[in-house]
Order: sequence, then C-alpha cells, then structure tokens
Amino acid sequence: MTTPILEIRNLHARIEDREILKGVNLIIPPGEVHAVMGRNGSGKSTLSYVLAGKEDYEITEGEVLLDGENLLDMDPSERAAAGLFLAFQYPIEIPGVATMTFLKAAMNAQRKARGEGELSTPDFMRAVKTAGTDLHIDTEMLKRPLNVGFSGGEKKRAEVLQMALLQPKMCILDETDSGLDIDALQVVSKGVNALRAANRSMLVITHYQRLLNHIVPDVVHVFSDGRIVESGDKDLALQLEAKGYADFDGAAA
Amino acid sequence: MRQTMPVRLGAAEDTLIAQLKSVGADATAERITVAGLPTRRVESYHYTDLKTLLRAVPPLAQAANEASAPALRVPGAYQLMIANGVIQSASTAPAGIIVGKADGGVLSTRDDILVHLNGALAKDSLTLTLESSVDPVIQIDRRIEGEAAHAADSLKVFVADGASATILETFSGSDAAHVGNHATYVALGKNAVLTHITVDLSARATSHFATNEYHLAEGAKLRTLVIHAGAGLSRTQLFPRYEGAGAHGDITGLNLVSDGQHADITMDATHAVPGTSSQPLFKSIARGRGKAVVQGKLVVARDAQKTDAKFMHQGLMLSDEAEILSKPELEIYADDVVCGHGSTCGKLDEDSLFYLMSRGIPQEEAETMLVRGFLEELVDPIEDAALAEALHGVIDGWLLGK
Repeated sequence: MTTPILEIRNLHARIEDREILKGVNLIIPPGEVHAVMGRNGSGKSTLSYVLAGKEDYEITEGEVLLDGENLLDMDPSERAAAGLFLAFQYPIEIPGVATMTFLKAAMNAQRKARGEGELSTPDFMRAVKTAGTDLHIDTEMLKRPLNVGFSGGEKKRAEVLQMALLQPKMCILDETDSGLDIDALQVVSKGVNALRAANRSMLVITHYQRLLNHIVPDVVHVFSDGRIVESGDKDLALQLEAKGYADFDGAAA
Repeated sequence: MRQTMPVRLGAAEDTLIAQLKSVGADATAERITVAGLPTRRVESYHYTDLKTLLRAVPPLAQAANEASAPALRVPGAYQLMIANGVIQSASTAPAGIIVGKADGGVLSTRDDILVHLNGALAKDSLTLTLESSVDPVIQIDRRIEGEAAHAADSLKVFVADGASATILETFSGSDAAHVGNHATYVALGKNAVLTHITVDLSARATSHFATNEYHLAEGAKLRTLVIHAGAGLSRTQLFPRYEGAGAHGDITGLNLVSDGQHADITMDATHAVPGTSSQPLFKSIARGRGKAVVQGKLVVARDAQKTDAKFMHQGLMLSDEAEILSKPELEIYADDVVCGHGSTCGKLDEDSLFYLMSRGIPQEEAETMLVRGFLEELVDPIEDAALAEALHGVIDGWLLGK
C-alpha cells in the first residue's frame, strides 16, 4: 500500500482548558481531494491551524504523519518545507514587506531546507509570471506590501499563487470561498484544480457546498464537535446542503 | 522651584566647568556650577538624566592625526569631514554648493545645556550654501579620532529659494569613550526641499549628542531621519520651526538600542505662522535591557491657525527587559488646528510571524523580515537609491548584531 500523504490518528488538541479536537482520524492517499464540512465552531479551522503548527494549541493526544514523517515534531517553517501548505481563511497583512520579496524568501527558504540551491532572479520572475497569469495577478499587485489593501479576492488569489509556486504535497484550504464573489470563486477554483496532481493531496475546509461544485472532492467528511462523524462521496455534501448539519450532530439541538 | 542649596557636582561637571573656563565661557561654566547637569527633574531630560548617565567627560579634543575609514559609504556622494571638531579641507564642490567657514557655533540660544556647551566649545562652523538644486548626496562625515576626547563641532546650511538637496551626516570615530556635541543649523528658503539624514555609528563607549535646528520659510519641505545605531548614550534634539505658510516637515527618527544602550530623540517643534503642517514619525526598537526614549512636543503659536500636525511614536520590544518611553506634548495657543499624538508599543505580531513561517521561512529570518517591514516606512521615502541602500545596510547590520 502506498504511504498516505496525510495521516491523522486520534488527534486531540485544546486551547487553554477547552478541548477543541476530540479524536480526529483521517487518511488522505496521494492525489485525493477530501472536503471537511461542518458548522461554525465545530473545530474545522482549529484542525487546519493545528496541522500548520500554530502555537496557541496544545496537542494532548494523537499523531500526524505527512508522507510518513512525524509532523507534530516540526515548527511551522519545517512543516512547510516538508510539503504542507495552508491557504489561510484570513491571510495576514504585513506592511513594509513587498509581496515579491516575501515570495522569493519563501521559495528560497524551502529550497534551502531541501538542500537545493537558490533560484536565480530571472527563474524566479518567470515562475511568478507563469503562475500569476492564470490567476489574473499582475506584477503591480506583487510590488505592493504583502496582502496590504488587497481585496478579498486578491488575497485568496495570492494564497493560490503561493501554493502554485511552493508546489506542496499537501494543501489545506481553510474556507477559501469566504469573501469571494462568483467570478473570483471561479478564478480561485480553477487555480486550485490546476494544481491537482497524482502526488498532491488536498483538504478543503468549508461550510458551504458551493465551493465543492467547483473543486469536486473525492471524499467528504462531516465534522462535528471536534471529530469526523460521517464520511462519504461528494453526494454527502449535497445531502448536507439539503438537510443541514443537525442530522449529523451527535447531540442535535 | 528655586535652588536653595548648591548642587553637589560630580566629576563630569567639574571637568566641564574647567573646560568652559579654559575657553573663556564663564557664563556657561557658572550655569553648570549652579545647576549641575540636568537631572530627571528637568522636564526635557526626564528620561535622560545626564547627571546619572554622563559620569565622566574626557579632555577637549586635539586635532586628529589619523582617521579611520568612513563609517558609511554612499556611492556618488560628495564628502566633507569634520574630525575632532576641526573642519578638514575638501575637494572641489559640485555645482550649486559653496563651502565656507564661520566663527563660533550656530545654534540659537535656548535654555538647554547641550546647546550652551556647543556654543561655548565649537570654535568654528562649516557652512554650506546651496544656491541651486544639488544632485549628489552631500555627506558630512563627523568623527572623533584617537584617545577619548570631548569634541564640539557645528554645521550651518542655507538652502536657497527653490533649491533641493539631500544631506547625510554620519557620526563615527575611534573606539574610545568620547563625548561628541554636534550642532546643525539649517535654513530652508521659500519652496526649498531638503532631506536631512543623521546617522550615529559611534563606538559603544562614546556618548553622542546632537542638536539640529531648522527654519522653514514659505512652502519649504523638510524630511529628516535620525538614526541612533552606535553610541552607548545618544540624544538627538530636533528643533524645527515652521515660519512660512505652506511649510511642511516630515520629521522622522529611529532608535535602535541593544543591551545597555540608551538612545533619546527629543523634538520640540514650533508652528509659528498660519497654514503649516508636520508629520513627526518616530520608531524605536529595543532588545536586551536597551532603553529608547522619544519626546515630541508640538507648540502652535497663537496666530498659527490651520496648523496640521500629528506626532507618532511606535515602539517594538524584542525582549521583556527592554524599555521604550514615549512622551508626546501638545502646547496649542491657536483655536483652529488639527493636532494629535499617538504612541504604540508592542512585540512582533505572532500571527504575522506564523504566516511567514507557514510558508517555510525559518523563525529568525521571518522575525528579521517583520522588523524590516516595521521600519520600511522610514526608509522608503528616501529617493536616492544608493543612500536608501546604505541605510538598509545600517539597519541590517544592527539586526544581525547583538
């Protein structure tokens, strides 16, 4: 059997005294796109932050393997270099750091961590230009400070651009559809779909079925109260949309 | 409060009194005899208690025999040098600059001990008259060489109506416990445009004091950037006066302090006539047990209506032991003005750090990027690319050092 790209076993995490993840189990084989759906506050975003290594959370139990490597021992930059990418729901604005400077630093840092040489400036520019064209990102936007003053659509397109440039093994998309109008949603989804590959897996976190019309998942999981309560194919998303989450909540209100 | 008892004088004050008497500056000597160096009880020295911080004053500077390499090289700059208070002969000046000398100090009298000391001790001043716009950066390399010395020097700059220029002053020298007292007087003519940058790169053992006085005529535009990145004890005083309608000042400064350093930028600005504006913006970064001070006072005269002035100081603490002190003051006598002040202080933003790291940038590099980003607002407006690069070099040098 091939090694899964992502394997989460009995993951428990808490912030201060509050347990948020209560035993998550998830296996994503290479090339598959899995969706996690759940209502607000179910712990979906916490899962993405815990996987990316945000400090605020304490892991109390369980393990996470990225392509067979123990992810939880690594700091966020090591996780990224190992092939994990989180597309943020709310990308952070960083004044004073030009987007271009940031992209180059990120690409070179990951290359360095993998023992590869630095990209030459022409190679870097070419890569950015190629990746940017499909996402309607021009170089003017990249000269601006990172995410500062970007519209909702620009922020999400910039996230997908980073994903395209960094070529991760495992992409986590946290509520990528939030703040997007229909046109922007199409551009972003197209960008994500272009990155689907046999050796790359994706975890798409959303609470609307809408995004999954554009990024069609292989497996859909329902997340409730800190764990996955139901899994199925893409039709599960349609059922959820029709019936709501109540049927899937253990303690439905 | 009236002084009823004579103050107890320390070694530094005794030396200063003797030095002042030796040059015939009896009035200033008397002033120190009576009041001593300013303590925290003097409002403008509240956070920089000179009596405590300045324990010894070395002998008055003698002419230097040797000079170390320039502290900062800016390709294409026209260089002038003052070493140990002595104006050095210069190469032929570029078009538009007249270089000269005048007797004595340059600052207007005011109730300030550093101003008095400079006036008493500076023998002559370097004068620059900028008749028309000058392209190359003009660099004044002010240094104190050799054994520990107390050096005072002064510079006077006239920028003619409509002229524009960029002046860079660098302060450096040998690795000794110098005390430098530097003065710069700048008069900007109507619609003149000046960028004035002063960078302290002195050795850690040095105490660096500078006072910059500016007079802006109608429509004149001034941008300053003070960088403290060297001396163990530094204080730069900025005294801009907006004297013609439409005059505008972007008065900016940066304290970079490491463990054991104390850096102070004190601005006292006067909006003297109607229709002037200023945007003072200061930043401080402190690590270890470093201490950074910014005091900013905006005085708006009674008939200076429509003044628009906002003071801002942003501090970034890189350690728990660091101290950043901020004292904004508004003294407004007019009734139709927009004036404000703000101060912020914090650590590097954790969400920003996480975001950069989540893209594979290691922690240390990510922190450096964020600090550079924090400072970019100060360097970005400097138009001369070689100068901006040199200033980035100063900042990076500090970030990589300890």
